[in-house]
Amino acid sequence: MLSMLAKFLKLLNGDAAPGQVAVGFAFALFWGLTPFFSLHNLIILLVVFITRTNLSAFFLGSALWALIAFLVDPFAIDLGEWLLASPDLQTTWTTMYQSDVWRAFKFNHTLLMGGFAISLVAFIPVYFLSFGLIKVYRHKVMAWFEKLKITKILKASKFYRVYEKLEG
Amino acid sequence: MLKWIRWSGLTGFIVVAGLLVCFWAFAAGPLIKMAIESFGSDAVGAKVEVEDVSFGFSPLSLNIRGVQITDPDAPMTNMVSFETAVANIEPFPLLLGQAIIPELSLEGVAMGTPRSVSGAIAKAKKPKEEDEKEDKPKAETGEAKADAKSSELPSADDILAREKLLTVERGEALETAYQQHSTAIEQAVADLPTESDIKQYEVKLNTILKGKFESLDDFKQRKKALDELKAQFKKDKQAIAAAKSAIKNGKSDLKQKWSDLKVAPKQDLDNLKSKYTLDGAGASNLTALLFGGDAGGYAATTLEYYEKIRPLLVDEEAKAEKEALKEKRLEGRFVTFPTDRPQPDFWVKKLTFTMSLPQFKGQPSLGQVAVNVTDISHQQDVVGQPTRLFANGVNLKNIQSLKVTGVMDHRQSPGKDVFDLQMEKWDLDKVKLGLAGLYMDEASAYAQGGVTFSQGKMDLSSNILFKDTTFSTKDRTMLAKEMDAALDKVSRFNVEVSADGKVTSPSMNIRSDLDKQLQSAFNDRIDEKQKELEADLKKKLNEKLLGYAGNYESQLKDMNLAEGNLSDATKKLESLAKSEMSSYEDQLKAEAKAKADKEAAEAKAKAKAEADKKKKELEKKAKEKLKSLF
Repeated sequence: MLSMLAKFLKLLNGDAAPGQVAVGFAFALFWGLTPFFSLHNLIILLVVFITRTNLSAFFLGSALWALIAFLVDPFAIDLGEWLLASPDLQTTWTTMYQSDVWRAFKFNHTLLMGGFAISLVAFIPVYFLSFGLIKVYRHKVMAWFEKLKITKILKASKFYRVYEKLEG
Repeated sequence: MLKWIRWSGLTGFIVVAGLLVCFWAFAAGPLIKMAIESFGSDAVGAKVEVEDVSFGFSPLSLNIRGVQITDPDAPMTNMVSFETAVANIEPFPLLLGQAIIPELSLEGVAMGTPRSVSGAIAKAKKPKEEDEKEDKPKAETGEAKADAKSSELPSADDILAREKLLTVERGEALETAYQQHSTAIEQAVADLPTESDIKQYEVKLNTILKGKFESLDDFKQRKKALDELKAQFKKDKQAIAAAKSAIKNGKSDLKQKWSDLKVAPKQDLDNLKSKYTLDGAGASNLTALLFGGDAGGYAATTLEYYEKIRPLLVDEEAKAEKEALKEKRLEGRFVTFPTDRPQPDFWVKKLTFTMSLPQFKGQPSLGQVAVNVTDISHQQDVVGQPTRLFANGVNLKNIQSLKVTGVMDHRQSPGKDVFDLQMEKWDLDKVKLGLAGLYMDEASAYAQGGVTFSQGKMDLSSNILFKDTTFSTKDRTMLAKEMDAALDKVSRFNVEVSADGKVTSPSMNIRSDLDKQLQSAFNDRIDEKQKELEADLKKKLNEKLLGYAGNYESQLKDMNLAEGNLSDATKKLESLAKSEMSSYEDQLKAEAKAKADKEAAEAKAKAKAEADKKKKELEKKAKEKLKSLF
């Protein structure tokens, strides 16, 4: 846990472009909130690899969203049920269901559909929110944080050694 | 735009994907081979061997060569084997772990081929008690009911070997009871005092009771020894009582079992007579005797194969478990939509193969049968179709046409499997019948029938019409001659075979109008045969009874002897136990009394002596006075 927090802080304090980190967090939504062994996750991975997305942010974000998924899953399942049962979408789903390719994506799975919908909706807000927070953190919070007495105490702690190890 | 692309990432992704494809191309074949052999062996309970598995990519297909599935009941024989199997596979469902096979074709299919090495695998033995318990002797009367495997020619020895006899059962029970009681009696007798023990008791008792007490301690010691001896007597008496009780119980139990055994031969004979009756009313058994052996044999083989294949097609228990699990887990679910493209986990849409028909009565194979099976899946509820079987005879020898259809419907529980058979003009040649050396030289058989399996039970009905029949026999017995003469008049007859009950032990009925045709011709001869059979059975059953009787007499004698010995021992112990010891106080009193008596006697003697002396002196004085007077 400490290691994860240290990685997170290293990422924030590093010189990676805020946009790349933010998009990593946003893509991580799909990995974290939908079932892991799904075809769309392979495509997300491909996209993350071939674009200049920050990979550390993506994998770290995936782990964080996967933790949050424990709380979100029941809601995601309900949302998936609702979407897949929605009368307005029945024609679309039925048409897609006739295709082996779409079925390979498991679009008719309630958790996957709900998780994917949440990820899709949250993608842009998470991107901008992360982007803004990283900028604010780097310009204001980081400098203020360095001056705090508690930061100095922390720097003498085990946590800081972990952080330093990652840094080095 | 290009500045957003990470070329190293793209290269890495392509390399990883390429490695995965290479792995799939080279390692998947051996992995699938291992999986088929491992899971197949577990499912069948005997070795399943695959020579080679390879992949084709356009279209995606799986080629399996040299498959041998061992018969678990005969490890040196293959239940089924085939040379090649080519399966087309739909690629996208495979990504979901679903094996959808639009077409599977097998070549070189054979059943019952010999193996060069045993295909047995070590496994835990399953108890067969349940089946054995259910295989009780069936005493059928009225219409001809014959067990599938009990319709052979009935000789007394065959019947006695085949049937579960009360005489044997009760005889064995008597012997078992004797063994048990013998053990119990031996244990009880081991606790009894021996002759030498009783002699030692007498010696000890004499030592204790004889002689004077030297002192109070001596008395106490002897008293203690006597008490111990008496306690031992008590213990021994209890042991004798226990032994007597064991012998009494043994005798009583053996007497009861002997009584039961004595009436067993008569009951056996009555049962066997009712089952193997050949009298006029039961003459229809003749058909069962003529055809029952073959019908029973083929039915048993067919049912064995059905029982082996059924669990592979449909696993209702696994389906129920899966349904139960689905309700519990909070992992989402798959929503299904109307489609003509259902996707179960495993589905062979079409299986085709050709196989040789089994040999009949040592003659060459009757030809081949082209089999077409559709919709093989253990998730018929998802497929929405039952598994259907179509088999058509091809290149048939001596058979005009042969069709078998089957529908195995397990979309809803309980599942139901229905099979129908139609056969036209099977020209039979020199078919050996099961009685009197008879042969059906020529005949044309037309068969149609159906069987339904559901919930472990079966219901079969079929009709076989024999036309243009001619018979002959080489036997010179009266029965053979009479049957041959009677059958000369028969040119066509009908055989109805039906079976119902549990798949593992069905009850088979065979009826025929042949019986009516032959009934009158055989009544006299059959009566005679029946009497011979009954006499033979009676004689052999009595021999069995006498075998047990000899043992019983000697066993009873041994027990009576043991009982007599126990009575003697009891008497001796009772006599010893009556012995008592006087107290030390009594001895002292007796001694004091003896001393007082002695002193009194001495005083008396002394007084008497003094009185005598005085008397003599007085007499002397008197004499002297008298002398002085005269």
